[in-house]
Amino acid sequence: MSTILETKDLTKKFGDFTANDKINLTVEEGEIKAIVGENGAGKSTLMNMLYRQIPPTSGEIFLRGKPIEFQSPRDAIQHGIGMVHQHFMLVPSFKVYENILLGTEIPDAKLRFLVDSKKEQQECAELVKKYGFDLDVNEVVENLSVGQQQKIEILKMLYRNVDILILDEPTSVLTPQEVDELLLQLKELKAQGKTIILITHKLREVMEVSDSVTVIKKGQIIGNVKTSETNEAELAQMMVGRKVLLTVQNDHSVQESPETIYTVRDLTTNNTYGNVVVDHVSFEIRKGEIYGIAGVEGNGQSELVKLLSGMMEATGGTVHYKGEDITNLWANELRSIGIAIIPEDRYAQGLCKEMTLSANSIAGSTRSDAFKKNGVYDSKKIREHCQKLIDRYEIRIADFDGTVSQLSGGNAQKLIIAREMRSQPDFLIASQPTRGVDIGAIEFIHQQILDFRNRGGAVLLISSELSEVMSLSDRIGVMYKGKILGEVDPLETSETQIGLLMAGAVPQEVV
Amino acid sequence: MKSNKTLINLLNSVLPVLLALLIGAILILAIGENPFEAYGIMFGKSLFTLRGLTNTLHAAGPLLLTGAAIAITFRAGLFNMGVEGQLLIGGFMAGLVGAYLHISNPFLHKAVAFAVGAAAGVLFALIPALLRAYFRVDEMVVTLTLNYVMMTILEYLSSGPFRDQGAGYVTTPTIDQSAMFTRFGSTRLTPFFILALLVFGILWYLNAKTEFGYKIEAIGKNPEFSEATGLRVRRSIIMLILVSGAISGFAGAGHMMSQEYKYTLSFSGVTGLGWDGMLVSLLGSHSPLGIVISSIFYSALKTGADNINMYTSIPKEIVAVIQGIIILFLSIRFLNERFGLLEKLSKKKGEKNGPAL
Repeated sequence: MSTILETKDLTKKFGDFTANDKINLTVEEGEIKAIVGENGAGKSTLMNMLYRQIPPTSGEIFLRGKPIEFQSPRDAIQHGIGMVHQHFMLVPSFKVYENILLGTEIPDAKLRFLVDSKKEQQECAELVKKYGFDLDVNEVVENLSVGQQQKIEILKMLYRNVDILILDEPTSVLTPQEVDELLLQLKELKAQGKTIILITHKLREVMEVSDSVTVIKKGQIIGNVKTSETNEAELAQMMVGRKVLLTVQNDHSVQESPETIYTVRDLTTNNTYGNVVVDHVSFEIRKGEIYGIAGVEGNGQSELVKLLSGMMEATGGTVHYKGEDITNLWANELRSIGIAIIPEDRYAQGLCKEMTLSANSIAGSTRSDAFKKNGVYDSKKIREHCQKLIDRYEIRIADFDGTVSQLSGGNAQKLIIAREMRSQPDFLIASQPTRGVDIGAIEFIHQQILDFRNRGGAVLLISSELSEVMSLSDRIGVMYKGKILGEVDPLETSETQIGLLMAGAVPQEVV
Repeated sequence: MKSNKTLINLLNSVLPVLLALLIGAILILAIGENPFEAYGIMFGKSLFTLRGLTNTLHAAGPLLLTGAAIAITFRAGLFNMGVEGQLLIGGFMAGLVGAYLHISNPFLHKAVAFAVGAAAGVLFALIPALLRAYFRVDEMVVTLTLNYVMMTILEYLSSGPFRDQGAGYVTTPTIDQSAMFTRFGSTRLTPFFILALLVFGILWYLNAKTEFGYKIEAIGKNPEFSEATGLRVRRSIIMLILVSGAISGFAGAGHMMSQEYKYTLSFSGVTGLGWDGMLVSLLGSHSPLGIVISSIFYSALKTGADNINMYTSIPKEIVAVIQGIIILFLSIRFLNERFGLLEKLSKKKGEKNGPAL
């Protein structure tokens, strides 16, 4: 084997922040190289430099031993490096082959300004066959599943004859079954001589498919190992720099009371395009219970959370809390009756980055008398309140009077939780509570959620991390295409079974 | 960090002014006059004599309010460019109240005129507010164009149905004595200036101390966050544009009762008090103290023009040139605030996205 791609002291700085610090990466021809690291370790930055989406601050890249400097992604593709992004870049209303050939259409032999769609279809069909993809090139993209769309992205690169294929977190949007299929596909591509760089933080995939692993932590390479000479535990330890504690788990020791506190009945809504995105969803949550909602992202969970947290209006159905109808109440009204909300997107909905810590600490209860004196805001009271939250939840800050943008993801999330838990709620809606935060913060947040339940609180937990839902929930509802397809007990169900539900399999087979 | 930002803000406001004055000085030199002498007269006479200072403050009253009217929408990420039109209708309606409703109590007469003027501003602002909140029509375009609609309507009304037949030019009848603000001594300053300061003060107190200000900041900086925390964004947008309209109408009414006394086609002056307000707000970085300072500075510039004419042989148009240059520099800043002009112009495309984690 010979080295195909190499970087020398590749560095990227964003202001004072060093995202990549002197990275020396070596990729052998024809291997599957896994690059692992926690969220925010700098994996994507490194790949974006290789693909020339962002210029490096310093350092060099060598392709087959020769120093190169790409001017653009297009340039990188011409040199044989292609990338499949985490977020797809497809035209939904176009057909599969049109997407594959976007930008490199084949002109008609006679009328040069027309596209020879017959030839295009033919070439794409051949390509699909050559690499053993299961895909109809004449299908319109918007009708395809996420997994199939990802195949198109890969085919786009293969059509452009790349030798090195970079995949950025390719499995984060897939069902477990789709993941298995993708991994097989990658092995097939490798057999055909392609070099693959796989960025991920899921160790199972790394162990299953890769030949060698590079671990990145805080912008630096921590280690290079051969997959055959390592194991998941060792990699995990390298990633976090310490021994991973067993994640916080629901021991199911607390008996939930039979009292139902939160009832959702036939909740339905449309998105702005008029499509039904939440379709007659019903569930009940009892006191002292964590109800988890699992599902592949984009199956209506975001909209469900928006409905339940006062950001979207239901077209049908009801929500009852402690016997009262709370359908379509505003967010501050929900909070005032004891519902805490951890929104899905922490910087879009949970916090305002450009506002101060103390201003963020009163968000959602701006009308509360607790922050007022003689009917107007008392900045002393507000600051004291904020300081209390910071102390109690050990939020690490740099400047008390600064804005939220100074906080790391985990600390920002802690601030939200601190704020939401302050008013002694009885019910918590937690949407993607640990997305993009480090392992330490994940443990903390999981513990908070469990403690809350153990004190008798009820929790609705929505997460695209299946393991999170599995380890915390007392009961799990699986969402698929806006519906809750089935409800399962995490103690009696395997990930595979839930995976089938997530992919839309008929529930009777599972339960 | 914080002091650094304040400094940049300060530079952002002071630099355009200094540059404009510098370019003005070059022009004055080219005419063969002494720029120091010219500027000395201009600012000396309009700021450092009792008569000049009171004139300046008098003219700063409406600017203070129109500046504030624009600033509160700017801070919320909205762009009420219709302050001019809202001020005109406010002034016109106050003029009608002053001339046609004969209320002998001077307080009551003015109060009614203010109320009607402000209400007229609100009603006129309702159009862009509703269009924006319910149909997502860009309020900047609507408010901007409606100014000209209002100008034309008022031109018709003042030259037709409400024309003072006794006057030799297009004007509405002069308002009653009871609707006129009395001047302080021999100066032109009237209690309206105090009133304007008061309204301005209340506005900023509300902004700093109540949910009103919190809403403005939150909506301006992150509308989705505002919605998620239960601030009614749509309702707030309507409310803010209407408040802005009310202040503009109030300013127009005050201008009518303290300066013009009747509605003529040049009621709002050459650049127009609403447009000037935009400049004042931009120059003052939409901050309260900034607006106070910039409204007085801008008003000094305007009153100084007459002094230049009177005491030097420099044509007073030099002031218009300076104003124009300030506007030019500030408009670059405005484009940058609204559309991220500098960011788009800078070539380092990859850099602007920050760390891709």
